[in-house]
Amino acid sequence: MSGTIQRRIQAVRAWIDATIAAIVTWFRELPDRIRDFLDRTPADAQAILLVGFVSFAAAAYFFWRSPGQAATPLALFAGATAVGWIRHRGRTAKALTMLASVVTVAILLLIISFLVLHSRDAFEHMGAELLWRLEPPFWEAPSPDGTYSLTPLMVGTALTTVIATMIAAPLGIAGAVFISEMAPRSVREVVKPGIELLAGIPSITYGFVGLTIVNQYFYTEFQTPTIASYFAAGVMIGLMALPTVVSVAEDALASVPESMKSGSLAMGSTEWQTTKSVTIPAAFSGVSAAVLLGVGRAMGETMAATVMLSHTKGMPDPFFDVFSRYGETLTTVIASEAPNAIGGMHESVLFAAGVVLFVSVMLLSIMAQYVEWRMHRKLGGQQ
Amino acid sequence: MARESAANSDLVSRRKIILTTGAAGAAALAGCSSGDGGGDSDDGSDSGSDSGSSSDSSSDTGSDNENTDGSQSGSMDTSVLTADGSSTVYPITNTGGSYWNSNPEAGDEDYWPNSWAQEEYDTQMRLADFFAQDYGYEATEERSNPPFRASIALSHSGTGVEGVMEERIDIGDSSAPAEAELAGTGAGEETLNNFVDHVVGVDGQPIVVSREIADAGVEQITIEELRGIYRQEITNWSEVGGPDRDILALGRSAGSGTDTAFRANVYGDPEASISPDQRFGQNQQLQQAVTQADNAIAYIALAFVEPDGGTPPIGLEIDGTLYEYGKNLGAQDYPLSRDLHAYTWEDTSRKEACFINFLLSDFGQEIFVAGNNYFKLPQDRLETQREMVAASNYE
Repeated sequence: MSGTIQRRIQAVRAWIDATIAAIVTWFRELPDRIRDFLDRTPADAQAILLVGFVSFAAAAYFFWRSPGQAATPLALFAGATAVGWIRHRGRTAKALTMLASVVTVAILLLIISFLVLHSRDAFEHMGAELLWRLEPPFWEAPSPDGTYSLTPLMVGTALTTVIATMIAAPLGIAGAVFISEMAPRSVREVVKPGIELLAGIPSITYGFVGLTIVNQYFYTEFQTPTIASYFAAGVMIGLMALPTVVSVAEDALASVPESMKSGSLAMGSTEWQTTKSVTIPAAFSGVSAAVLLGVGRAMGETMAATVMLSHTKGMPDPFFDVFSRYGETLTTVIASEAPNAIGGMHESVLFAAGVVLFVSVMLLSIMAQYVEWRMHRKLGGQQ
Repeated sequence: MARESAANSDLVSRRKIILTTGAAGAAALAGCSSGDGGGDSDDGSDSGSDSGSSSDSSSDTGSDNENTDGSQSGSMDTSVLTADGSSTVYPITNTGGSYWNSNPEAGDEDYWPNSWAQEEYDTQMRLADFFAQDYGYEATEERSNPPFRASIALSHSGTGVEGVMEERIDIGDSSAPAEAELAGTGAGEETLNNFVDHVVGVDGQPIVVSREIADAGVEQITIEELRGIYRQEITNWSEVGGPDRDILALGRSAGSGTDTAFRANVYGDPEASISPDQRFGQNQQLQQAVTQADNAIAYIALAFVEPDGGTPPIGLEIDGTLYEYGKNLGAQDYPLSRDLHAYTWEDTSRKEACFINFLLSDFGQEIFVAGNNYFKLPQDRLETQREMVAASNYE
């Protein structure tokens, strides 16, 4: 076991070394590459590219500073693009696609830095207690120097996510196995698009059903303290995450090479034995990735949870009491209080909730991608 | 009232500040100083721009009072009056604006009926023409063509207060005082003093309970009991004379205007901590929850009270005075009442005063305020508010 860990650490080290080396080489070769590029590119193409990039940058700057003046550089950019498209179509296309990717990455970076910048006040004000505090008061909004803590919200997000996963994972995997391995062709052709259609239902629709039927059911039948509970919200969110789990898990199961299944059948196993002992283990990474993606969706779900939770912040006792009178998650607090939080500490704390949410969902999707990548490596990349 | 008269004296000193700091343009300054030299009356009039720059519509706050008497028709500011802000105040200003823009003729039974025009005001003039004439506007005598147009937008109290402060709009609607809206932004005394507060109506939120609770005989609670309920110190209806059932205390979103007002008025501190069982963003959701539940208590906007339906109101007793739905919820001492403000910035221009006076008229109070389920201002407050925008200030 320790040998495996050491090997892993070595692999990571090697990866870091290689990355650093690649970056260093890239910078060392940069002058050569620029010279090379200039040699290979005709003068007029160089001019067009220069005008295009400079005018685009100027347009972006003016759009930020004084939108009224952005029209001129934007027109210049359009002109440069048009001229480039006529004279050097290939090079222009390359430059445009590159610009598109740069803009995408830039927007991502801008969003991250905006979130972090705006949440800084909250982190400075509350310190570690913003993330970990077990005693009330948790939320003295909208006071600028009140106590704020995200702990009850993180507990809320965890509770709804766990319940959602308990609904979405078993149902989703079972559905995927049925569609991929057992269902006759005609059934599969109806059920699979049907499930994908389910993913297209707007979340507020689920929320509305949850608010008027599920919440009310738990309130009248089981006398929950409020007309809302983590449990009811979790169930609804689980149903919403279901289509994601089914379709990704189904893809994973379907990508198990036919030869493996045929081999198993040829050895005399029944279909169920093949599914249980060959297909599912082989697709295990992909199925886990499906569940992780479902969890990510459940964690980020906002609209349904916002209408279904009670919006009171506190620690359930015990903390896993999903029928308590408390109900607020990282997403719902932003949705329900952002309109009232104009500037100041209250708004900053909401941005901090956004940062925590962003980091957790990012970790989850990285995990899912890693698992998926392993699956592809293990099965030799057959898709 | 002392507060208003203090505000009035503020206007004067404020204008002096404007004069000395040169907030107005150089031309306006020249106009002002000559006006002052001529022994101009001491009220806050600043609407008419001087004849040279009458086309400048946006800066009516910048130019000052040079229209001493009569003959201003050539220099009247007839640009569009703009307002934005609170969704609570919006029905009042917007209904007012719609009536105003339509400028119906006297005898239009739906909008300017004879029962008002002839019996109350004894006039044959069109609606907007009539109310604008005292401020020196000439009658247009045309439908849909008021002396100036009013354009009312809808957003939030904070947006309205910010908009009027940044002079994007003429009137900022707000359901909370400007200082409360700007509390988090560090706006100083100087900024707040530039707001001129016009109260156009009063919103009073009754306490409502679920049908089952009202039927079981709960007709009123005391303010102490209310405080206890929203702090989870009283958790069973039997403690306040009801059935043996848990109390489901419903409130509004943390930090919203209504929530802050509730804490300020019931607990005496806008930052008092309360812990309702469940919070809602909108009155509609609140109404639905009270109706669905059999043990709920809530405070809700007047329009959502159904005395015989799912949200029956109960009385609130404070120091021996009982406040009841349909009787005295508009009183200033009722803790769940709040003033509905239409703020102007750095004095009130002739145009703004003309429109606000329209809202404060008996017709406006009846149709736009009471007609939208709010409380009319009590007579004494109405008088003070009207004095602030009286046409005589602009002669």
